[in-house]
Amino acid sequence: MQSNNGYYGEFGGSYIPEILYSSQQQILHAFEEAKNDPAFIAELKDTWQNYSGRPTPLTFCKNLTDHFGGAQIYLKREDLNQSGAHKMNNVIGQALLVKRMGKKRVIAETGAGQHGVATALIAARLGLECTIYMGAKDVKRQYPNVFWMKQLGATVVPVAEGAQTLRDALDEALRDWSSSHEDSHYLIGTTCGCAPFPEMVAYFQSVIGEEVKEQSQAQFGQYPDRLYACVGGGSNACGLFLPFLEEKEVEMIGVEAGGKGLELGQHSIRLSNGLGQKGIAQGFATMFLQDDNGQLQETHSIAAGLDYVGVSPIIAHLAQEGRIQMTYAMDDEVVAACSLLLKKEGIIPALESSHALAGAFKDAPNLPKESRIVINLSGRGDKDIFNVAKAMNDATFPEFLEDYMADYKDHLNNEGEA
Amino acid sequence: MSQLAQYIAEKRQQKPILSMTHVVYGYPSVQESLDWMATLLEAGADFIEVQFPFSDPVADGPTIVAACHGALHDQSLSVEQCLTDIGQLGRDYPQARIALMSYLNPMYRYGLEKLVKRCAEENIQGLILPDLPYEQAADLRAYCEANGVDPVWLVTPVTPKDRLAFLAKEATGFLYCVARSGVTGNSNHNGGDQQSLDEYLAEINSHTSAPIGVGFGIREKAHVDALKGKADVAIIGSALLDAYNKGGKEEGLKLFNNLFNS
Repeated sequence: MQSNNGYYGEFGGSYIPEILYSSQQQILHAFEEAKNDPAFIAELKDTWQNYSGRPTPLTFCKNLTDHFGGAQIYLKREDLNQSGAHKMNNVIGQALLVKRMGKKRVIAETGAGQHGVATALIAARLGLECTIYMGAKDVKRQYPNVFWMKQLGATVVPVAEGAQTLRDALDEALRDWSSSHEDSHYLIGTTCGCAPFPEMVAYFQSVIGEEVKEQSQAQFGQYPDRLYACVGGGSNACGLFLPFLEEKEVEMIGVEAGGKGLELGQHSIRLSNGLGQKGIAQGFATMFLQDDNGQLQETHSIAAGLDYVGVSPIIAHLAQEGRIQMTYAMDDEVVAACSLLLKKEGIIPALESSHALAGAFKDAPNLPKESRIVINLSGRGDKDIFNVAKAMNDATFPEFLEDYMADYKDHLNNEGEA
Repeated sequence: MSQLAQYIAEKRQQKPILSMTHVVYGYPSVQESLDWMATLLEAGADFIEVQFPFSDPVADGPTIVAACHGALHDQSLSVEQCLTDIGQLGRDYPQARIALMSYLNPMYRYGLEKLVKRCAEENIQGLILPDLPYEQAADLRAYCEANGVDPVWLVTPVTPKDRLAFLAKEATGFLYCVARSGVTGNSNHNGGDQQSLDEYLAEINSHTSAPIGVGFGIREKAHVDALKGKADVAIIGSALLDAYNKGGKEEGLKLFNNLFNS
């Protein structure tokens, strides 16, 4: 979606410290040139296809459809990307742009670690130095992703400031960029931040919706009636929705994280229920969760990838215009939706994507049988094994962990003696 | 001529360089921060740059970030109370000036027009918002002009030459010249040598009639002395806070006196 000089209605813009002005302008121009350069686009498509496995399938879910007895349910399988999530689409695009700008290092923020891993993967492949900022709490919660980032050669910096989550990681990444802008690129993971990041990330993610257009025509001869996506920062939602923006009969539903309840600090609902308020921070104007004094607040979701305090200015604008309907799903509904997909279709969804499932499952029984809905399965759930086991109160998991720990310690002791 | 520029010009008749000392409002508590400001004014500080804390201060380094988070940790700070408090401070020390620094969001929530009006009422003559670039500040500029408050623009060593010339021309109260890349405070970034700083300041001076303040990385007397004759105001933030954290007002005052009164 083309911005109006970096703005989407009253949201977006570029509110950055003066020190970043030149680097921001450089990205703006490099992106404009690159997207009009057939050689760049060809390399992008080639890397998407041969490194990340695109196009990803559009999977019809017969069992789920029969189960609900309403709309025909399809999943866009972003979980089948290299790295297991849609994050790959964007990091490939930006990393190729980094090569084009002649920079040698990338910085990224990460919450759950999915964007961090995706960035570390492409950095390893393209020979870029890579530093990932991650809230100290998230480092603890998502250690398997930290392990892989380190194995891939990235430096992972735990951020012990503030709430020690994604928002603090983003602040710290901006600070790094302020001193390293001459040789480093800030590879932001979602459709947020100063212009042109929202537009650029949405551009790279729009491959999702473009493929759905072709696949839906091929599979059932028309576009879907409704699209569903979870909304954290907003990149997978932008990716699915934006190519359909002009198709007025296609309805779009964004699902935010309801967390444990609607009190401030218990959820990440920025756009539904009037819980967020307009603010300007972290480089852009959007709806933020904040107090009356303009201090950004803590958030919660069972899905670490959705607990961001702000939201894409593109989504904020389209929600305000009524083009996208916003709703939310609570933690327990999300786990139930995840469980249902496992049992009915043999697919393990990420908890982030399970929000989109939960939102769609509420509507599906009430929709006409001939209607078709596409849910963006933005990522796979392997990474959530610990959280899902806990949420499902699985009794056997602690025993496995204890046995594993005992064995691991024996192994380390024996290594020490050898 | 702006009130602020006039004040600086008059004071510069007596001093080779003026001091702007930075204090985080509400750190460690509101009263202690106000006492610390008063102590600095007693010691002869020409300006206090009062930072109203924000949860996400992206242009600041570890020392100031920690102070902002500390200030917000177990108390709710109101912009209105801050303006009232520092307005009183200005009336208690009429020989000095107060500038307000913050990030955009808390000011935006308070209301930019109301903010500028209240600043004028409290004789707060300068407003520094590091995440509000000139281009995005049309409203704020209009309010400032109507109320005789100076918005303070920042320039840096990597600001393109034509942009630097433009911002220098637009500067009224004073122009805030960031001495090096990075965030406030100690930096491992080697942001150039004395010669390049001199050339940078000479370039700025050629484009502006407004006074020049220099900040970021000023920690020693030699840094302040090196600015004499090339700038009007030396801005000291993180180094002062480091000293304060180490040994309270006494240690902070020792650094201030060493930099400006020796």
